[in-house]
Amino acid sequence: MSVTADHSGLPEDELFAAEVALGVLAGPERSAAERRMAREPTFAALVAAWEERLSPWAAEIGEVAPPPQVWEKITAALPQERGRSASLWNSLVFWRVFAVASALAAACLAIVIYLGAARPGEPLVATIESGGQRSFVATVDATRGTIAVVPAAFAGDPARVPELWLIPPGGKPLPVGLLSADKPVVIAIPAPLAGQAKSGATFAVSLEPPGGSPTGAPTGPVIGAGKLTVL
Amino acid sequence: MDLEANRALLVAALARIAAGDRAALQTVYRLTSAKLFGVVLRILGERSEAEDVLQEVYLTVWRKAGAFDATRASPMTWLIAIARNRAIDRLRAGRIGRRMEPIDAATDVADAAPGAQRVLEDSQTNARLHGCLDSLAAHERAALRGAFFDGNTYEQLAQRMTVPLGTMKSWVRRAMIKLKVCLEP
Repeated sequence: MSVTADHSGLPEDELFAAEVALGVLAGPERSAAERRMAREPTFAALVAAWEERLSPWAAEIGEVAPPPQVWEKITAALPQERGRSASLWNSLVFWRVFAVASALAAACLAIVIYLGAARPGEPLVATIESGGQRSFVATVDATRGTIAVVPAAFAGDPARVPELWLIPPGGKPLPVGLLSADKPVVIAIPAPLAGQAKSGATFAVSLEPPGGSPTGAPTGPVIGAGKLTVL
Repeated sequence: MDLEANRALLVAALARIAAGDRAALQTVYRLTSAKLFGVVLRILGERSEAEDVLQEVYLTVWRKAGAFDATRASPMTWLIAIARNRAIDRLRAGRIGRRMEPIDAATDVADAAPGAQRVLEDSQTNARLHGCLDSLAAHERAALRGAFFDGNTYEQLAQRMTVPLGTMKSWVRRAMIKLKVCLEP
């Protein structure tokens, strides 16, 4: 209704802003007002001035303490930390990507060593997985006599530790060492295994009690396995 | 703490929220959630809806804190406007019943004695607005009250006060003009 504007002495925008601040509009008028506020800073300022005039009226409304779960829901709905540098260091995803990248770099380094080495060693890689779910990547550096194992997408279990096993073709699992759910581990190849960590052997990971399998054979569930192949 | 200290605390916290500081949001929540919950509850009249809307209010504060300009608005006005708008949005979405009992301008009374002043409210500004509201005709004041406290639309106000829609619009507009003139510095 613009009929009232002509005897009011106030411009139509000023009256429209008053209606917006008061909250009497509905439907398309209310949406149109929101669009104007977003587009036109001068109109938004008119609305803000009316809000300033009316807000002392809210003093009439008593305070009511909201229940604690409201704040809990708010924090749960907030996006992950916006302070990126801080969160990166705490991000398991980052460390997993970093770990896989490091493993690839280590493998590349192994190739360089292999190609340049007077005493040839075989750089071998095993992707330890189950049903397409990759849990660890193991790289054997025969030249140095080490196995580097990085977690890929492995959900840690506080009660049990992942243990790495080497299974020679047709043989029984031999204990290699304990792994970590959240950081790369480098294991010196145990003497009894020297010569066994070669192409065709299988790496497997089982979940064991803290300290590793008490029996020398896997006692917990096997979460994945993968054949060692020449890179 | 007095009004100015609280205002400064809120302004600083809003600036930190704009930079992604969650602790600052908690500060604002601690200082203002009881007030804003009161506002939202007054408009919606239903606790579970009001809790839901209060959550939206603070998530809006989190997203829009960067748009708050302390040179142009007081932090409480800005927060109350967000709370009222969110509550009215929820009302307009139409899932809950609005306050629709007839308004009798002659018996229009304030919700509570406005004497109880809170640290976040400026008693002088309050007294000024109340003085100006008192200078309005009873039917004008009643219409503004229905809009401000019950979140009514023009149509609902017209229905509650049994006048034609056009009459209600001119009542409200005329009342707002009188208010502005009265509040002019």
